[in-house]
Amino acid sequence: MSGLAHFLTLASDGMKANRLFWLLIAGFAFFPIFTHFADLPFWNDVAMRIMLLGMAAMGLNLVLGYGGMVSFGHAAFIGIGAYCVGIGDFYGLTNGWAHMLLGIVVCGLMGLVIGYLALRTSGIYFIMITLAFAQMLFFLFVSLEQFGGDDGMSIDRAEFGFIDLYNPLRLYFLIWVTLALVGLGLMFIVHSRFGVTLRAIKSNESRIEAMGLEPLQFKITGYVISAVICGLAGVLFANWQEYVSPDIMHWTRSGELMIIIILGGLGTLAGPLLGAIVFLLLEESLPIMLDSVAPAYAENWMILFGPLLIMVVMFGRGGLVGLLAAQRQSKNNPKRTKAGQ
Amino acid sequence: MSQPVLNLQKLNKSFGALKATSDLSMTVMPGEIHALIGPNGAGKTTLIQQIYGALKPDSGQVSLNGSEITKLSVPDRVRAGIGRSFQISNVLMDFTVMENGIIAEQARLGHSFRFLQPAFSDAVLIEGAKAILQRVGLEKRAEQRVGDLAHGERRMLELALALAASPSLLLLDEPMAGAGPEDSQRMAEIIEALRGKVAILLIEHDMDAVFRLADRLTVMVEGAVIAAGTVAEISANEAVKLAYLGGEE
Repeated sequence: MSGLAHFLTLASDGMKANRLFWLLIAGFAFFPIFTHFADLPFWNDVAMRIMLLGMAAMGLNLVLGYGGMVSFGHAAFIGIGAYCVGIGDFYGLTNGWAHMLLGIVVCGLMGLVIGYLALRTSGIYFIMITLAFAQMLFFLFVSLEQFGGDDGMSIDRAEFGFIDLYNPLRLYFLIWVTLALVGLGLMFIVHSRFGVTLRAIKSNESRIEAMGLEPLQFKITGYVISAVICGLAGVLFANWQEYVSPDIMHWTRSGELMIIIILGGLGTLAGPLLGAIVFLLLEESLPIMLDSVAPAYAENWMILFGPLLIMVVMFGRGGLVGLLAAQRQSKNNPKRTKAGQ
Repeated sequence: MSQPVLNLQKLNKSFGALKATSDLSMTVMPGEIHALIGPNGAGKTTLIQQIYGALKPDSGQVSLNGSEITKLSVPDRVRAGIGRSFQISNVLMDFTVMENGIIAEQARLGHSFRFLQPAFSDAVLIEGAKAILQRVGLEKRAEQRVGDLAHGERRMLELALALAASPSLLLLDEPMAGAGPEDSQRMAEIIEALRGKVAILLIEHDMDAVFRLADRLTVMVEGAVIAAGTVAEISANEAVKLAYLGGEE
């Protein structure tokens, strides 16, 4: 049997098992057609932001959802990826593929260092150490005056060979393809021997040790993979924004990523992307809705946003994906309602 | 006489002023069922922890099949041939019985850094997992979530996982604790069937089971061995009667 045929069978099996995620990906592919005919080009921009944050959240989900490691510093990797574009540009490196490669290598190395140090701890200490590393990097970039310091630096969209990113559709589809490939990769990883071991470590680390495996090796590897995915999102983020500043790695963004994952569904393939869609759509539409009802309060839309998020987390254990799955399964098989199997 | 599977030499371990293990030496021979008994607080679990590697002794040596393992980590010791069940069932609760077996099998094979092929539908792993489950008669429950299993079945599964890598020494920390008479009976049968195949160090409070199963016993009081020998020797030992068997009930 040829390797390619085998790969394709595996991929199509996986896609059937993760229908929701691939439906969302297909939706994003057709979305520009809709915005074109509805004459709503602004919404392409929103869709790109959703895909970028969704991608970063998918990266974090590998350690947070599947590995049970509550990293509160993943925005740092988005920032590093974005600064790979900015700083690369600054020194005359304008090729986008080179930026991507740089982002992957630098984020991989930073993930290795931070992971190696932080994963010696667990629980609240791990959360605090990852946050501390992210804050260190944040203030490092604030202090780097030659790269704009606090104000950041504006950048030209990179040259991706034949892909001219000033054509908004090409940027859109570069992001889309990357997102789909990240999803494909994660789909394989979480069901592979490595991914299964990572999930088992989350379930019971001491049993994995009792099987003769060293949990730290798997956790660090997962951490590096997730850092690289966030870095890729950062590289594209910088190109989309045409601008990079320390703001991109502010700690609130790490929190945002966690909220997106929990909202969508921890430890599921579709969860982070679905979470990003709902999170950013609410962020866009709540002020508008509030404006039409009570204009004086429009800028306080977060008063509604917060309780909404809390309700989903409290009543929909397993997030939106969990709610959807529970609804489907209550018809056929009431027993197994745990998402992400 | 053949080489002992486990050889402990002058182990010492203190927690502050408390001497949990005191100049303790003992051996476990190949294929024997060796029971470790003693009143609560005698330091049995602390000793098991030092053999397993979760605790490091302050001084002394732990040797497995003739090579020293005192400085090895838990996973290294497991790969060197130690299997273990814990006082509280230690299994992968979020997975099915079959999935537990599959993860044990892939750990045994030593190829867990693979990123493409789905593990739970891998024919090689499924075959291995079936063999692991069959040893304790759990193959019929393969599709059950471990969280839904009865206590006794979880105990069996843990034993199966501990046996998966064919250890040369099996540490069983109260395998019958909390089990009903039927489950205890089955557990005893399975342990009995392992006699001669793997060396077992057994901590158990059920004295009937201990006297039925054990080839040799070691009696611990306050971190030290006060007697060691066959069941007949131990039941006749005055010091043991005084310190433990008589004193408790």
